[in-house]
Amino acid sequence: MIKNRHTAFASFLVIIFGCILFYLGTAGFTAFTAETARVNQLIDNKPKFPDVTFEDSKGRTYSISEFKDKYVFITFLYTSCTTVCPKLEMNMSKVYDLLPNKYIGKDIVFLSISFDAKRDDPATLEKYRGYFKSDGETWRMARISNQAELDSLLKAFGVTVIPDENGNFAHNSAFYLVDKQGTLIDVMDYKKIDEAGKKLVNILNKDRGSKR
Amino acid sequence: MNQFFYGLLLLIFLALPPVAHLLESIMIVHMHMQMPMLVIAGFLMARLFQLRFPAFFEKWNGNGIPGIILFLIIVVFWTIPRAMDEALTFPSMEVFKFFSLSILAGIPLRDSWKKLSTIGKNAIIVIFTIKYFGMGLLYIKAPVQLCNNYLIIDQLTLGWGFLTTAICLVIYLLYVTFTDPTKYE
Repeated sequence: MIKNRHTAFASFLVIIFGCILFYLGTAGFTAFTAETARVNQLIDNKPKFPDVTFEDSKGRTYSISEFKDKYVFITFLYTSCTTVCPKLEMNMSKVYDLLPNKYIGKDIVFLSISFDAKRDDPATLEKYRGYFKSDGETWRMARISNQAELDSLLKAFGVTVIPDENGNFAHNSAFYLVDKQGTLIDVMDYKKIDEAGKKLVNILNKDRGSKR
Repeated sequence: MNQFFYGLLLLIFLALPPVAHLLESIMIVHMHMQMPMLVIAGFLMARLFQLRFPAFFEKWNGNGIPGIILFLIIVVFWTIPRAMDEALTFPSMEVFKFFSLSILAGIPLRDSWKKLSTIGKNAIIVIFTIKYFGMGLLYIKAPVQLCNNYLIIDQLTLGWGFLTTAICLVIYLLYVTFTDPTKYE
């Protein structure tokens, strides 16, 4: 009987330990993959957009201050990608269509950033842009030629890019929203188009309302 | 004592940075070779602890149940995609992996396994079969990349690895259910 009490107690302790371990390991049962953990942490940390130089599909170069006083809706891609990127950009164009015209270009700019600076020169981006009806102005596609700058951005925004042998990249995808001060304020699921659209419209409505 | 030595040797060998790096560079090897070998290292080292502290094991793990639960918890924990990813990103997680799989899983497994009844043992195998089918389907069917440190193709390989292991376990279970070992003795 006494022995049973001991083993029962030990089992109890072990289960408590297990609960704590799983609770901590999954951030309170919310993040079972490193990707969800990453997104949760990004939203908490609100990193600043680092100082990088873009070169867009029209060959113009500028930094993030080009978009001062505008929200920037961002995705990361490379144009040779045949899997997730076309889907990502297609969804981005659907979000673009969901927004009222009055906001586009004035309060918010769309920006697709390529992390494959070698292949994605302005001409390639210009061609790719056409596939998704991006106008190159209110929705721009750009690369960051300086590797160190690119790395600093990928690191700050938690984008992991792993090159494979065939010249492709494995990478995580999401919609990123940067506010008027250049701070990352939200990371959204790129598969939930309506949700992202609603969220943006809400933020933009509120923003115009507060100015009045 | 000899067993402890071999277990420790295995653990140290696995912890050598080039060895660890090589095993961890391939997802399926990371999960289905490095991790089980860590458990085996602990399993071998367990002998010394059993001889040194027999009273402790007898008192707190008399029926083997606390030990096997601890083993299950640790092993299940390390199949969470995030845990595996973080072992590669954070050195502290890597240390915890080596410590938990050898000490917290290997030792209790050895002490508990013999104490479990046949039904208990088979129940554990059934749990693992279900879990491996589940994990296998998760890794194969998941539309997204579950681990940021590995490619999707690695994820598929791992998924099929889980499924094949589960199929082997099913074959074993069928075998013990429908054959009578005493007939052949």
